[in-house]
Amino acid sequence: MGLFAMAKPAEPYPDFPAAAAGSRKRVRRMVNRVGLQAVLPAAMLVLVVSASGRAESGGLEAKIQYCQDCHGPSGQGYRGFYPIPRLAGQQTEYFENQLRAFVERRRPNNVMANVAHVLSPSMISALAADFRSFNPPPLGGAPRRQVAEGRRIFEDGLPGANVAACAACHGPDAMGKGQVPRLASQLYPYLVKVLTNWGKERGQLPAHPDTSFIMAPVAHSLTRAEIEAVAAYLSYLK
Amino acid sequence: MNLGSRPGSRRCEAQPHRLRAATNLGLQLASAALVVATTCATATHAEDSKAEVPKQELQAKMAYCEVCHGPNGQGFRGFYPIPRLAGQQPEYFENQLQAFIEHRRTNNIMFNVAHVLSPAMLTSLAANFKNLEPKPLGGAPKDLMAAGKKIYEEGIATAEVPACASCHGPQAKGDGQFPRLAGQLNDYVFSKLTNWEKERGQNPANPDASAIMAPVAHNLTKPQIEAVAAYVSNLE
Repeated sequence: MGLFAMAKPAEPYPDFPAAAAGSRKRVRRMVNRVGLQAVLPAAMLVLVVSASGRAESGGLEAKIQYCQDCHGPSGQGYRGFYPIPRLAGQQTEYFENQLRAFVERRRPNNVMANVAHVLSPSMISALAADFRSFNPPPLGGAPRRQVAEGRRIFEDGLPGANVAACAACHGPDAMGKGQVPRLASQLYPYLVKVLTNWGKERGQLPAHPDTSFIMAPVAHSLTRAEIEAVAAYLSYLK
Repeated sequence: MNLGSRPGSRRCEAQPHRLRAATNLGLQLASAALVVATTCATATHAEDSKAEVPKQELQAKMAYCEVCHGPNGQGFRGFYPIPRLAGQQPEYFENQLQAFIEHRRTNNIMFNVAHVLSPAMLTSLAANFKNLEPKPLGGAPKDLMAAGKKIYEEGIATAEVPACASCHGPQAKGDGQFPRLAGQLNDYVFSKLTNWEKERGQNPANPDASAIMAPVAHNLTKPQIEAVAAYVSNLE
């Protein structure tokens, strides 16, 4: 039920203007500081550290906290009005690409566009690295009876229905790699929502096609019941 | 299992040529050699009705392959490096799909993919991928190219490594059972050559052409494999 509500991408969302403004100030402060330090030759090292986002531990911690407001403690995922995805353990390349996708409207989501467009590239890298290192248990809550069927689809695909084995790209343990996301422990309702709505949520900027097109035929060829099964399986994987 | 399909697939081996012939005939049709063309087309159909794969089915299967093997079979880096199929030799292509089915080449995912393919579909897929010509995916270290080219073209006589070019051809396009290597993903080539004896020729009761590569893969060092993989991956 809540799942179907997600199918409308233009739903008005609550926003976070105060936090966004605060982070803009922090970014400006960071830029200023880096500018001053760059005057000194010895500051080259600091610049390198800044580029990885590590110099701003205060700003980073506040931002991580902000992400966890919606994405749950340690980025475990959270069931708000919408299912809000787990970020913990996510592949950094995928994580960063999705934040850019929100900014560029390849992935239309008003809330996340607002969140993402104030992030500096170094903050994005730092967030990606931090969430990658978190490892909370799966949130759980999916129907157990579909798990075995879901595992079969994940590992073998449905060759007769031209559904590729998920494991070929996402890995045998669904940990993902590079641009291919980790799916292990992802929220059941989030996976169901994304897979039933792929063509309306991903790759929405025809002038800027992205790797999301790879999943389009897969999502299209899976039935609702098959999607539920594979989502249930993944949601319990650690 | 599925041994019954082998004679069928053998019967279809001439099929890529036939598809190409059909294309040529189509052109001739347009240029008014109508009678000849019609006669040949009819003869082809009568010879092997199995070869008729409905266009829509073939397109759906191609799209399915491309999910993992990349647009136009260019290759793709998923969890594993997934090989380029574009421009591959049909004989090699078909033999590998048979190898997955017969567990000569052990790969659970590709076993599942392959064992539902009809012999006619297998032949059509081989012919279709042979005709695709996307750019190499790239991503290999360029500084290894020169060393790789030398190994590829000359081999390493002191280590009993023959020149790759002697079987795979000077442009690495392959021939018949010898696969095309040009444009192949370097990380894929690396993982095959460092793992040859655990992946290929795994059915002792049914030895295959993969035995040819075993000593070569064994005699190459990892840096040498990296170099030759980088070289072939950048070849168009």
